[in-house]
Amino acid sequence: MIVVEDLRKRYGKTQAVDGLSFTVEPGRVVGFLGPNGAGKTTTLRILLGLVHANSGQATILGKRYSQLERPFCQVGAVLEASGFHPGRKARNHLRVLARAGHAPAKRVDEVLATVGLEGAAKKRVGGYSLGMRQRLALASALLGDPGVLILDEPANGLDPEGIRWLRDFLRSLAAEGRAVLVSSHVLSEVEQTVDEVVIINKGKLVAHGSVEELKRGKDGRVRVASPQAKALEKKLAKAGFVVTGDGEALLVAGATSAQVGEIAAASSLVLHELTPLATQLEDVFLDLTSEEKK
Amino acid sequence: MIAALSSEWLKLRTTRTLFWLLVALSALMTLIVVAGVIGSQKHNISSAKDQLDLLGIGSLGIFIALIMGLIVSTGEFRHGTITPTLLATPSRSSIVIAKALAGMFFAVALVGLAEGLVALELAIALPAKGVDFAIHAGPAAGFIGRILIAAALWGALGSGIGIVLRNQIGAVVASFAWLFIAEGLIIAILHSNAINSNAGRFFPFQATGAILTNGSRNSADLLSTGSGIAALGGWMALFTIAAVVLLSRRDVS
Ligand SMILES: Nc1ncnc2c1ncn2[C@@H]1O[C@H](COP(=O)(O)OP(=O)(O)O)[C@@H](O)[C@H]1O
Ligand SMILES: [Mg+2]
Repeated sequence: MIVVEDLRKRYGKTQAVDGLSFTVEPGRVVGFLGPNGAGKTTTLRILLGLVHANSGQATILGKRYSQLERPFCQVGAVLEASGFHPGRKARNHLRVLARAGHAPAKRVDEVLATVGLEGAAKKRVGGYSLGMRQRLALASALLGDPGVLILDEPANGLDPEGIRWLRDFLRSLAAEGRAVLVSSHVLSEVEQTVDEVVIINKGKLVAHGSVEELKRGKDGRVRVASPQAKALEKKLAKAGFVVTGDGEALLVAGATSAQVGEIAAASSLVLHELTPLATQLEDVFLDLTSEEKK
Repeated sequence: MIAALSSEWLKLRTTRTLFWLLVALSALMTLIVVAGVIGSQKHNISSAKDQLDLLGIGSLGIFIALIMGLIVSTGEFRHGTITPTLLATPSRSSIVIAKALAGMFFAVALVGLAEGLVALELAIALPAKGVDFAIHAGPAAGFIGRILIAAALWGALGSGIGIVLRNQIGAVVASFAWLFIAEGLIIAILHSNAINSNAGRFFPFQATGAILTNGSRNSADLLSTGSGIAALGGWMALFTIAAVVLLSRRDVS
């Protein structure tokens, strides 16, 4: 549905996107994560034909955005630094876009109701709070009733209540079968909403998988204690696992407790403890994107 | 293309920009007409030629048309609406052309209203001053027609310049600096060095003079009306093409 392939974009000396590839399947909500400056906005803007890539492909529904038959009705987008004329009323802002994008005029009032702005529809956007602007931006993305949504940091500027609203809102969009690619530099904003995450840093892909996969992932570890630690460590290393110790027990990276238990049993080694270490996704995220880690 | 045009049309009607430009223009017109009629000796405003000049006060609206064209397109960059605009209309040439056409249309509307106001005010002020109408319908209509053509071209030119320059204040300052300073300066230099003393006639301000002149001021230095329209049209085309090329090449981020 969304395909990014070996995408590259350079701004002067900054390699904003550096050989990035990932795909988003239909009906999935995918979190697009990375610290500030990772290249999220640039990638999304390339996908939407706003920024020209230096090389690589970025397609939606098999085509470049501008080649889509009715792009505005197939793909909805909320982008950072996307603006409103402060002197234009919210409803008129949507009418202007509906006309240009071939969305039916009756959608204007529908989407205003969807995002809960019907009461402020006749107000000029200049008087809107940041949260109201985000809602209006979401409303404009929904005008064409698109099957694909691309949202760049939609939680920015929302208060906790607004973030909760957004979370429910994204869930309801996904429940309607839409594919959603939603970026954030704060994992917790999207963690409960997304099926998968694509994590990037410095323009490169760092990880892509389901939330569970990443929690297990290569950083999922098993803590195992045995009176025959030396022998166990040998067996585990032989099986290809990276083993470290914390003094009292062994830490086995990238293994499940079942795998460790079976290896121990095969060699009749005694175990006193066998604990999968639950990794917080936040840790994984910070780990994957932190400076030292690369 | 039609959708983009219809959207541009709605855009201009849903902000107060046009309204304020019209208010400013009306106030300016009224001031000049009143001053021009009341402050003049009767015999200076009695001939057909004098009264045609008074009617020409509405042509000042062309500057407002230029400002409107500039605001229409630089506003997209100033407020960041260029992003949603491009999402709804990914074809960048369509956007440029829609904006040029909208600039044209609203320039004609704006200047047409201003000209109507001037005519109305003259119809009241001249008799009040005790001056008879000497003006003839034919030349008056032709003059107003030429003013509207110039306005249309300047409206579109403004929208093209705005997309090329993007910065609102910068575009307004640059345009007026060209009109009132740079163009005259360059022409003076061309003349003094005898490089090509005719080239200046094709510049936008001079070409506009050629379109608007009623044979009063040193019209020997000006192009013919038709060539003036062609020259100004050429500038408009040049900036429209430049706008398409630049908007297509540039990243919108
Ligand atoms: N228009 C631009 N001109 C120059 N550098 C840019 C531009 N846009 C982004 N960058 C740079 O590219 C890198 C990636 O930026 P961005 O895509 O905005 O990251 P993110 O959205 O993940 O925070 C940053 O280093 C940023 O400074
Ligand atoms: Mg960003």
